[in-house]
Amino acid sequence: MKTVFFIIDKPLHGNVRAQEFLDIALMAAAFDQKVVLLFEGEGVLGLMKNQQAESMGLKSVTPILNALPIYDINEIWVEKESMERWAVDEADLVIPVQKLSKVDVKKQINVADHVFSF
Amino acid sequence: MKISIQINASPYQHQAADTAWHFIQAAIASGHEVYRVFFYHDGVYNALRDARPPSDERDIVKRWSALHDENGVDLVVCVSSAQRRGLLEASVAKKVDGYPHALADGFRIAGLGLLMEAIIDSDRHVTFGD
Repeated sequence: MKTVFFIIDKPLHGNVRAQEFLDIALMAAAFDQKVVLLFEGEGVLGLMKNQQAESMGLKSVTPILNALPIYDINEIWVEKESMERWAVDEADLVIPVQKLSKVDVKKQINVADHVFSF
Repeated sequence: MKISIQINASPYQHQAADTAWHFIQAAIASGHEVYRVFFYHDGVYNALRDARPPSDERDIVKRWSALHDENGVDLVVCVSSAQRRGLLEASVAKKVDGYPHALADGFRIAGLGLLMEAIIDSDRHVTFGD
């Protein structure tokens, strides 16, 4: 089993990219690989409640985020410094996450087998 | 070393396809095995048969086809990315009255499972294009 690490550092809505990117994560989980999702930078904004993707004619990514535990994706991390920078509180988020400092994130990336960036 | 490649950007507007191609040439020349190139997101446009750049410019699509012919590299285009962008496999095109000859020689259309297989089997998976 490999650890496949996904870094999401851009907003999730506005184009089809997030859907296609998360498809890789779901597929990795379906292949019994260990999947880690890290949200940092503007990516943390995509985790906030009340996203209205439909108003732009787009599909909301929130249902995919809610479905992650069904795929056994339970390592959902958010960089602490990014949350502070964007004044995002854990209570604002659609799914439970673990907060990690920048230093710890770096350590985890170093031990991952593959890293995908958004 | 066994290497797989992923290309996420369209040709000509981004450097990804060029950089990847040069990387692959260098890898093969150094004795590495390039196992598969997986075209994802707008990268699927690398597989358009009817791309016709001016004759004094590099032909990115033909270059991929040649890589398949000469080095046996598996060129896989993601089916869902491709369908979304109007690139259909012949059998699907026939069913939906679409254009059946869109895919250039040497490419095949398949699912993300082949990307995962490449990631799992390779020592390195290198992505080009954001």
